[in-house]
Amino acid sequence: MDFWSYLASTLLLGIQEAAPLVLAAIGFTLIFRLNGFINVAFAESITIGAFVGVTLNLLGWNIYVSMIPSAISGGLLSVISYLAFYRPALRRGVGKAEMIILSVGVSYLFRHLIKIVWGNETMFYSSPGTQPIKVFGVGVTNLNLVAIGLVIVTAVAITLFMYRTRYGEKMRALADNEVLAKSSGVNPLATSTLIWAIAGVAAGVAGAFIGIRLMVSADIGWNIILFIIMITIVGGIGSVRGAIVAAFSVGIIQMGIALPANTYYASIALLVLFVVALKFRKEKV
Amino acid sequence: MSSYWIQAISFVAIFIALAGSLYLQSSIGGITNFGIVGFFGVAMYLYTIFVVTLAMPPLLALLAVVGIVFVVALVLGRVILNLGPQSILVATLAFATIIRHLATVLEGVTGAAKGIGTVKMPWDFEKTSDEKILFMVVLIVLAAIVLLYAAKIKKTPYGRLMLSIKDNEVLSESLGKATLNHKVIYFAFTCAIIGLFGALTAPIYTYIFPHFILADVTFVVWIALILGGRMSVWGAVVGIVATKFLFDFGIESALSAFQVRMGPAFGAMWPNIKLAVFGAMLIAIFMFRPNGIVSRKREGGQQ
Repeated sequence: MDFWSYLASTLLLGIQEAAPLVLAAIGFTLIFRLNGFINVAFAESITIGAFVGVTLNLLGWNIYVSMIPSAISGGLLSVISYLAFYRPALRRGVGKAEMIILSVGVSYLFRHLIKIVWGNETMFYSSPGTQPIKVFGVGVTNLNLVAIGLVIVTAVAITLFMYRTRYGEKMRALADNEVLAKSSGVNPLATSTLIWAIAGVAAGVAGAFIGIRLMVSADIGWNIILFIIMITIVGGIGSVRGAIVAAFSVGIIQMGIALPANTYYASIALLVLFVVALKFRKEKV
Repeated sequence: MSSYWIQAISFVAIFIALAGSLYLQSSIGGITNFGIVGFFGVAMYLYTIFVVTLAMPPLLALLAVVGIVFVVALVLGRVILNLGPQSILVATLAFATIIRHLATVLEGVTGAAKGIGTVKMPWDFEKTSDEKILFMVVLIVLAAIVLLYAAKIKKTPYGRLMLSIKDNEVLSESLGKATLNHKVIYFAFTCAIIGLFGALTAPIYTYIFPHFILADVTFVVWIALILGGRMSVWGAVVGIVATKFLFDFGIESALSAFQVRMGPAFGAMWPNIKLAVFGAMLIAIFMFRPNGIVSRKREGGQQ
């Protein structure tokens, strides 16, 4: 493989790889900014989105239509986990590191409930309308191109929501100073629930994209949650733009290594890079 | 004693030692290590490679492995221990993931999914069951030493130093203590204990596969510690008995007759049920008994 075709493949496949990561990282960073802890169970909103989507797709639903229930299921799981577990724990003053451990418990509960419902087998979307297209000599499918387009639309929508609407403003106010936000008339329960729902929706759609591109198994969320955490911390907590840049970088670096070597080496290199990046961050997390 | 129960008790002893080490790290040292299985796994693989591939004598291999884990933890600790607790948690989780990926990708050395073995018991008797019983006894003794150390450490000057660093690092530092250095060495030492038990797990499994070092191992140890109550090391023992022993061996053997009737589908589903229940237990403890099921009021932080 000559250098130019390697570069083209790395960029194109990297962007495809990054597309669901971008979505998931945007959702994740919202929660991290709002409540200040790493919600590992976010992984399960991704997974449930994929399972709901693939199930409906195999029942004959159109792939794009099936993304709507994917989104709703991810959002629902996220809101349930917030209202049932995290909110009571936060109100009781559970520490940040302990909140992560709690979220790992929630993650295990949800993931294995998903396995109990759907079984241990891997599922695949049936995508009859898929056509291979060559872009700069690299084979991609029309579905993947649509996926990238949808990710861009969603990312822009969430960014606008966060920085251009009253709700986004309320949420940022709540994250910065809860007492002040409350006294300014922000309803913390409604605002927080909305944020958790949006984050879960983003995760559910991300799960559907991963499922469409690769496969659906109960571990897809858990397998990428470390990368999502890493993207969020490196991109800056609460920064949608930072998350987008970091997620695309991760996707491209991953492909850059995975193409000549394999995905395991790519993951190892990224995780090492991540630990080093943690070291050089100014913010102490 | 049947070989099933010898194996069961050996595993319980190993996990009690792991929970004791986690108690030392998190409750005394304030280090949220979520990469227990990384240190455990790297030791298990290295020991196997040393005794099987390189044909090293078991004791020498064991010493070498513990030494290597100590150095690895020293380096990792130096990099991450002055970060915040969330970063430490994520970084150790990343470390464990790296180790599992390495076990999968270095196929020439680890055998990857084909596995690596056979690891024999470190001694050779006429009856294999005697070898296993002696090994079980050794594990129980070693686990007891870890527990006793963990129970006594609060009363030693070193334990008080670690507690003071955990409670107020800035204050300890201003009193002239080299807090980071102490923490790093303490971390490396306790990780070496985890490594010791990881290496000693290899002869029980005899054949080693990457799926033995999933994050589930770390999760079980954490849930045991939280279930039993983090304020006392004896809580860790209660936690392991309630999780590892009751679920992996107690219920499984009680259900074995049942399982035949339910068929292989139930056998495939059982680990999922178990881990879902573990998750629910962890949540319930956080919700209703934040100090664990054996907590005493005077040691409780809240309520």
